[in-house]
Amino acid sequence: MQGYILNLLILVAISGILAVSLNFIIGYAGIYSMAHAAFFGIAAYSGALIAMHVSTSLLVAIPIAMAICAALSLVISLPSLRVRGEYFVVASLGLQMIAFTVFSEWKEVTGGIGGLTGVPVATLFGYRLHSLESFFGVSLICLALVTFVIYLLVYTSFGRSLKAIRDNEVAAASFGKNPVIIKTIAVAISSALCGVAGVLYAFHVSFVNPETFTVDQSVLIMAMIIIGGTGTVFGPILGALIIHLLPAALTYLTFLPARDLASLQQIIYGAAMVLLMIYRPSGLIGRSNVKDTWGK
Amino acid sequence: MLLLQLLIDGLQLGALYALMAVGFAIIFGSTRVFHYAHGTTYILVGYLFYWLSDRLSVPWWLAALVAAAAAVVFGVALDRFVYRPIQRDEGSFFTVFVASFGVGVVVENLVVIFFGASFVSISTPLTRVQDIGGGIVISWLGIASILLAVLLFGVLNWFLARTDVGVALRALSENPELIRGFGLNPRKLSQYAFAIGSLMVAPAALVATCVTGLTPTAGHRVVLISIAASIIGGIGSLRGAGFGGLILGLAESLAVWKLSTGWSEAVAFVILFCFILARPAGLFGTRARV
Repeated sequence: MQGYILNLLILVAISGILAVSLNFIIGYAGIYSMAHAAFFGIAAYSGALIAMHVSTSLLVAIPIAMAICAALSLVISLPSLRVRGEYFVVASLGLQMIAFTVFSEWKEVTGGIGGLTGVPVATLFGYRLHSLESFFGVSLICLALVTFVIYLLVYTSFGRSLKAIRDNEVAAASFGKNPVIIKTIAVAISSALCGVAGVLYAFHVSFVNPETFTVDQSVLIMAMIIIGGTGTVFGPILGALIIHLLPAALTYLTFLPARDLASLQQIIYGAAMVLLMIYRPSGLIGRSNVKDTWGK
Repeated sequence: MLLLQLLIDGLQLGALYALMAVGFAIIFGSTRVFHYAHGTTYILVGYLFYWLSDRLSVPWWLAALVAAAAAVVFGVALDRFVYRPIQRDEGSFFTVFVASFGVGVVVENLVVIFFGASFVSISTPLTRVQDIGGGIVISWLGIASILLAVLLFGVLNWFLARTDVGVALRALSENPELIRGFGLNPRKLSQYAFAIGSLMVAPAALVATCVTGLTPTAGHRVVLISIAASIIGGIGSLRGAGFGGLILGLAESLAVWKLSTGWSEAVAFVILFCFILARPAGLFGTRARV
């Protein structure tokens, strides 16, 4: 039982990192990425390959995966941030689909549909993180660090530039800000921080396969942010907690057919997304002023 | 010879993509709603047709009519009960998109509960291939899908050019404020856009269900292809969207010539990237607004 709870909490921490890093661009920069699961996957595969062939140290795997994610984010941000917002959504969706094809078809490197198995146990400063408790501790520290980094970024001049661009790009540009460069950097930071979650995930479950990194996963991460509240520091973490506790809670409702639990869970958060958009677009703990959060 | 066969297959696929894309383009062009649930309309039509004709043994033409009517009802109902309440509070493009996505998730999983997550297909003698000489094969449904696409384009062009509603819809896509000045109601027109756009996806869904079968997750791909085709053709241009769909279908099929089939699905999105990079306004678009 304790193992189950620890497992759940580790997944909440990893999802928390995903949600917080995606919220950085959705909530503060108004850039809507559908490719977060792709970067999650790229980092997980990189982490797994590094662990299997180079080093099991988190201090090696995480920085390399972060760098790879940041570099690859340029593939979508450079072409699509020049044009209007819809294009980035579409380009990121496209990247998500291409990434899934690469994960499942580039068999020599990714192992195809079967994925990579036997990722060794992670090490940190020479200690093997064998127990769930120690890995949970590390995940929690990573979540705290990522949240702290984003908190710092949001409250510096960089964060203010981002919000200015989100609220009025033309006005920001006339104050000497270069919207394209600032947005490109923001996407790179978000993707790099997402990479932390990918590496932790690969070590935690000790195998990676394409099924985890689908467009549905991107939607799930987005649902966490939307349910918790966009543009808030702790909203995404609350959202991650809710999304992970929901399936656990549903298993206690014994009258529900077990076969349909996964679908029911998706129906609940799908419906939650629709209803929140109609009645409370800023999320559970978001600001009540809609225009503040979803400024055009 | 293989190339010619792939070209013919590509034409069939392109005809279906063109229908989906034009449906999306009508809705997006005239209402600016990023209608992600367009793919949901597709699986709704496909599964309804499968349920009626395969499980309940309803005659195929009746099943097809009911399914097409359901597409129209679904599209109009979404506009009225989901998009309109959001737009009333000046919801941004993304708020509408998220709600649309949520609807897609709900319907997709309802389908899983009722029909299971695995693949369904309808067997009909029409999908059997005919040799048309030199080892080149084509099925009656393949021919039908190409003819259907051409026919529907003709009808749609006539509708948009000659009828009052058609002209008003084109005006809506160009200048929504001016529409009010002429005493027309943009809300009512947007319902027409949803009805026509959803109707266009129905034949594609019916044919594709018979030819390739259907899974609950097929909707994502359908809407992505539609969006990609609209961008390649130029947002706001129906001709462009149809042409874009045709290009994507041909490219996906011809890719099999050099690549394994697993990779061919990614080809459409690589083309999309090239367009966003080099010509964001698309083939027929006049400009990409920043």
